[in-house]
Amino acid sequence: MVGWDRIRPSRPTRLGRGSDSNPRHERIPSSRTVRLGRVQPQAPGHRTIYCNDRDANLPVRFKGNSISTTKYNFFTFLPKGLFEQFRRVANLYFLTISILSTTPISPVSPITNVLPLSLVLLVSLIKEAFEDWKRFQNDMAINNNPVEVLQDQRWESIPWKKLQVGDIVRIKQDGFFPADLLFLASTNPDGVCYIETANLDGETNLKIRKASEKTWDYLTPEKASEFKGEVQCEQPNNSLYTFTGNLIIQKQTVPLTPNQILLRGCSLRNTEYVVGAVIFTGQETKVMMNTMNVPSKRSTLERKLDKLILTLFATLFAMCLIGAIGSGVFIDRKYYYLGLQEDVENQFDPNKPFVVTILTMFTLITLYSTIIPISLYVSIEMIKFIQCAQFINKDLHMYHIETNTPALARTSNLNEELGQVEYIFSDKTGTLTRNLMEFFKCSIGGEVYGTGVTEIERGIAERDGIKLMESKKSANTVQERGFNFDDARLMRGAWRNEPNSDICKEFFRCLAICHTVLPEGVESPEKITYQAASPDEAALVTAAKNFGFFFYRRTPTMIFVRESHVDKMGKIEDVSYEILNVLEFNSTRKRQSVVCRYPDGRLVLYCKGADTVIYERLAVGNDDIKKVSREHLEQFGASGLRTLCLAYRDLSPDIYESWNEKFIQAKSSLRDREKKLDEVAELIEQDLILIGCTAIEDKLQEGVPTCIETLARAGIKIWVLTGDKMETAINIAYACNLINNEMKQFIISSETDAIREVESRGDQVEIARFIKEEVKKELKRCLEEAQTYLHTVSGPKLALVIDGKCLMYALDPSLRVMLLNLSLNCCSVVCCRVSPLQKAQVTSLVKKGARKITLSIGDGANDVSMIQAAHVGIGISGQEGMQAVMASDFAIAQFRFLTDLLLVHGRWSYLRLCKVITYFFYKNLTFTLTQFWFTFQTGFSGQRFYDDWFQSLYNVIFTALPVIMVGLFDKDVSASLSKKYPEIYREGIRNVFFKWRVVAVWAFFSVYQSLIFYYFVTTSSSGAHNSSGKVFGLWDVSTMAFTCVVVTVNLRLLLMCNSITRWHYISVGGSILAWFCFIFLYSGIMTTYDRQENVYFVIYVLMSTFYFYVTIILVPVVALLCDFIYQGVQRWFFPYDYQIVQEIHRHEPEGRTRTELLEIGNELTPHEARSYAIAQLPRELSKHTGFAFDSPGYESFFASQLGVYAPQKAWDVARRASMKSRPKIGQKK
Amino acid sequence: MDVDEGSGLRDSTEAHRIPRRSRWHEAIHQFKQQTLPACKPVLTPKWVITTFLLMGVIFIPVGLITLRASRSVVEIVDRYDSECIPEEYKSNKMAYIKDSSIPKNCSRFLKVYRRMKAPIYIYYQLDNYYQNHRRYVKSKSEQQLLHGLKFNATSTCKPQESNNGRPVVPCGLIAWSLFNDTYAFIRGRSELKVNRNNIAWKSDRDHKFGKHVYPFNFQNGTLIGGGNLDLSIPLSDQEDLIVWMRTAALPSFRKLYGRIEEDLDADDVVVVKLMNNYNTYSFGGKKKLVLSTSSWLGGKNDFLGVAYLFVGSSCIFISIVFLLLHMKSQRSP
Repeated sequence: MVGWDRIRPSRPTRLGRGSDSNPRHERIPSSRTVRLGRVQPQAPGHRTIYCNDRDANLPVRFKGNSISTTKYNFFTFLPKGLFEQFRRVANLYFLTISILSTTPISPVSPITNVLPLSLVLLVSLIKEAFEDWKRFQNDMAINNNPVEVLQDQRWESIPWKKLQVGDIVRIKQDGFFPADLLFLASTNPDGVCYIETANLDGETNLKIRKASEKTWDYLTPEKASEFKGEVQCEQPNNSLYTFTGNLIIQKQTVPLTPNQILLRGCSLRNTEYVVGAVIFTGQETKVMMNTMNVPSKRSTLERKLDKLILTLFATLFAMCLIGAIGSGVFIDRKYYYLGLQEDVENQFDPNKPFVVTILTMFTLITLYSTIIPISLYVSIEMIKFIQCAQFINKDLHMYHIETNTPALARTSNLNEELGQVEYIFSDKTGTLTRNLMEFFKCSIGGEVYGTGVTEIERGIAERDGIKLMESKKSANTVQERGFNFDDARLMRGAWRNEPNSDICKEFFRCLAICHTVLPEGVESPEKITYQAASPDEAALVTAAKNFGFFFYRRTPTMIFVRESHVDKMGKIEDVSYEILNVLEFNSTRKRQSVVCRYPDGRLVLYCKGADTVIYERLAVGNDDIKKVSREHLEQFGASGLRTLCLAYRDLSPDIYESWNEKFIQAKSSLRDREKKLDEVAELIEQDLILIGCTAIEDKLQEGVPTCIETLARAGIKIWVLTGDKMETAINIAYACNLINNEMKQFIISSETDAIREVESRGDQVEIARFIKEEVKKELKRCLEEAQTYLHTVSGPKLALVIDGKCLMYALDPSLRVMLLNLSLNCCSVVCCRVSPLQKAQVTSLVKKGARKITLSIGDGANDVSMIQAAHVGIGISGQEGMQAVMASDFAIAQFRFLTDLLLVHGRWSYLRLCKVITYFFYKNLTFTLTQFWFTFQTGFSGQRFYDDWFQSLYNVIFTALPVIMVGLFDKDVSASLSKKYPEIYREGIRNVFFKWRVVAVWAFFSVYQSLIFYYFVTTSSSGAHNSSGKVFGLWDVSTMAFTCVVVTVNLRLLLMCNSITRWHYISVGGSILAWFCFIFLYSGIMTTYDRQENVYFVIYVLMSTFYFYVTIILVPVVALLCDFIYQGVQRWFFPYDYQIVQEIHRHEPEGRTRTELLEIGNELTPHEARSYAIAQLPRELSKHTGFAFDSPGYESFFASQLGVYAPQKAWDVARRASMKSRPKIGQKK
Repeated sequence: MDVDEGSGLRDSTEAHRIPRRSRWHEAIHQFKQQTLPACKPVLTPKWVITTFLLMGVIFIPVGLITLRASRSVVEIVDRYDSECIPEEYKSNKMAYIKDSSIPKNCSRFLKVYRRMKAPIYIYYQLDNYYQNHRRYVKSKSEQQLLHGLKFNATSTCKPQESNNGRPVVPCGLIAWSLFNDTYAFIRGRSELKVNRNNIAWKSDRDHKFGKHVYPFNFQNGTLIGGGNLDLSIPLSDQEDLIVWMRTAALPSFRKLYGRIEEDLDADDVVVVKLMNNYNTYSFGGKKKLVLSTSSWLGGKNDFLGVAYLFVGSSCIFISIVFLLLHMKSQRSP
């Protein structure tokens, strides 16, 4: 902490251009004070870095650049790993039992409990070690990557881990940045470089970074070694898209922005090499700070399993109590042969029956410890792991070939939760829709252009019974990605003849100028590609191009547009517009503006944004156009189109200059820069003149309607939560079968006249009160109506549509119950205009309030909170940023894969896990109960029935493997039938297979079977059982009983299988064989140490009698008879749904489609698959986060050139929102 | 963020491997796609009925054979503990059994109701005797039985570990409480020869009891639990002890005493001269003498046969019930 005393608090200063003339060292204003060298907690500090000067940095002891993602190291592995293991109650319990069993009160030798426990621990530790080893190797590979660092005027290659803060490094093309770097110089002109952030956020388009002009020269090693700068910047944090700091170089202060930062994990593209100074290293880099531990979710089934285990504990206690009381009563001196006459130890002292009872209690606990299935958790973990890694991740049905994206299970403990989902919360854009934007229609100056008919309109028309003629595409329709527009009135300069041609011109110019798109490639209309942050923007610029306003080049201050037909038909001229300011988009502003100067000196502000924000800022007057345009907007919305309003404002130089001064002030402020910029922007985005609006079509994803219909048939209720307008949302809901005309729709909207009127008065308190009242009234009305429908027999299905503002009030604690009651009665719910936080709130409303199992699916950062709030979070991968995927539990490429994920994998997982758990329960209970019955006939002494080794290996060898086979391979109906009959999924929702009733049935059979084992074997073994008249002893009988138990329990498994593969036979046969092999060996040897040689030769004695063979056939058959009858009767008279399906398709072979697909999959090597996928890949990946129009991963570096910070990313806001909501969720748990 | 250098390599090798579609890869693929070939047992009524019928058909004959074997065994059981007490001690059995001066001999008359073919096994049966009590079962030392005094870590034998400061061989409660009633049989005027060899399992004799281990300091304490041993005979030949020490599973058990190797005819009367030494009176146990022939299945035990017959016939019954139900309500497939 020595470095801290360098930092002096200083007053806030203005930076920017003005600061060049300021010779004083400017410091970042620090809100924290340094006292006695101690850092005050919470205060955001900053760090000072001396570039190219290792000695100066030494006192501060920055962290090294080596990273470690491992959980353990060589020394901590055993203690830490064991500690982790013993945090599980079951393991701790067995540890206690093991310790107990070393005391003399134990009837069993310690081996009985120690062996299974150590085996279980061993398996778990090996798994942990293996995973950690892989992480370690990965870390090592990364840490040892070479990087070129400046040493003695030469570039020396050193491994990444040796890198230190302040070092000057050179990164070559395609190289990865080893740490967070300050970008100093590049081989490209203008000091720019291109980076790919795919590792960071999954975006594959290139981003531009630009070095500060002051440092452009430090490119060669000679020059770079002269570089001595001091960087003052924020402390390491996890915000990927913000950075605040100053570079003090040659007594000048240069402000640093995210544009000068090259983040670790990104790679350099299209640039020969760059030179940078290391700012954050190793664990302190932003990407490492971002590896947050997602709170692990536990599945509902597992929570229920805990209850089962608790019940088992209770049973154990009851059994022990019975035995213990019995022992206290039994013990008596009259049994002289027990040697109770003198100095008897406490446990058998007839004078102290109470002490005997207590001690026998412990004895029995150790004896019956097998009732708790020790290997259950490990087995479940293994099963789930394989289910994820091998089945879900490798399923060809969920492999999206176009984007080469397989499904990905990111957590392995929620598989069976997928089989019980009742509510799905879905994002719209990018999830239901393709996020492939096409310019479709527009309205200019109150006139609608565009002749296309959207899929949704077609759908509406079909519902209304109108057959739409498939309009023939005219021959000259331009077919281009992002442009699906046809109207002869506008194309090819025809707009000149329109009455409103002037406003058309403004419209096109606005499209061509007001954006942050980068052109790439040859500057011809055919070959150019646009790098845009959101596909909407690209579509708009493409549209402008097709209208004859071809934007072809951009420099930091200029935009070049090739305009056709402006002055005269057919005339083409290149016009350059000077870009003075860019007011960036962000999710609060919901608009974007550009101030530009025409070549003739005209100053214009072009603005585009969401209709609500634009209408608020329009100049008075022109009410006709406003009204007509609003109608058009609604019309577009009704057709499922995404709309934007365009507006402009002519600026006088005076007004502009005075505003620009404020703007410069704001952009150079160091604190709250974003907020200040927003405020300043507000000043000029006033008195706008409406030009028109655009309508972009967002196509539905493939297979969405069928998928939704299937899911609905499966009893899953789907809620759509979207940021879109109500009309759009409703129509998308129509288009994808969520809502249809047979449904009764309840619409709760804030767009009523009454509310508008109150809003126009502007009193916030009054507005809130009024809307709340309105919402309450509406909810009450809807609820009453819904209940009347509910009581009628064949009432219509219900649907609820609610908008974000109403939702805000409806989520109020006082109304929440009403909302919940209403929405639970509805089959589908559409929430529109909701914020990310509200999405999470709605999700947890259902999760907590209704205690149903919820699933959230989304693709964007605004869905993160919702994904984390739900029981199961699903991210759409391969589309855009990785934020949703990173927060999710499962990632799939397409919405339609939900069918496979839920109906096939989820259902199977659920079924298998239920079987595994109930089987474990059964086999341990049965085993322990035989022991329990024996206790009654031993004078409650706690004598063990079985040999120690039998008992210890029962769980881990003789019955371990087959149940895992069930967990992996059991399949009631084939995948195709699961999808054909989605109704069978409802059994999972109702949790049919793991109810207490099911457990009770198993418990009943356990009791029955254990009685059979015990009494059949003991009764039949009394008397001689050998033709030479010799009789059996205790251990002969117990070995006989144990053989019966092992055989029966393994056969019982086959009886409950729905499909039996050869692995079942192998494992079941192998387990039984393992028992016989074991007993042959074990009873055949005698050891020298004082083991009680009880079972010596027992099996040979047994097998020399006919009795053995007669019994080994009889007992399992009798034991299984009851189960068999039960299963037969159950299937016959009370069949489960899946059993009906099984029988319908009993004679059909497994679905052909799957095998065919398998063939294809088999022939494509991964390499081929990849190249095929790449060939299929659209040139540009769409990036969008779900708001009507927002740009996530893109900073306009031209804006920052002028000192403007890139605004916060929408999803950063989302993440923060989700973080805020997390403690709340935690509390409710 | 990770620089995964291995992946490229792995992919290319996989690319080479996959086109050769070996059976192994086929299997792996089926595994991953969850399409392993499997048989799907569906418990349809037809299956249920057939299975039950089949089981009935198999079980009834087996049951009959087993029952026949059991019935072919002639068994005579005689409880003598209450009868072999002189009238004056009936109310104070303990005084009788504890007083060594009172002669313990007693005669019983057994009538053979059916011809018994040699070998006729002689068992004694004890009831309410907890040989399977935890304290009792563990109270022996396997190693001492095998190695004798050479082995002295006999803590498991408590409380019969040592006597007068010297170790006891064989130690422990089991040996200490050795059964010591004796029987002699007279038919008519001639005594029936009782063969008391080869009554223990061979594995016990050969491997669990030492050939050179002789009893030592046995039954020398203040309390005498049961029978004594001939100090000159090694443990491996003390078959009474060996039989006794194979502890029984249940509190009611039989143990082999010896064999009569002559046939007994129906209506023969066998006089049993027995020494009623063993104390079962203190805890209310019963003592019985059993004479039994043997079949291939062993002694008389109807249980297995009856169980087989019961299961077999109930299977047939169930299959008929199911069949009738099935005929009545033909389910549409």
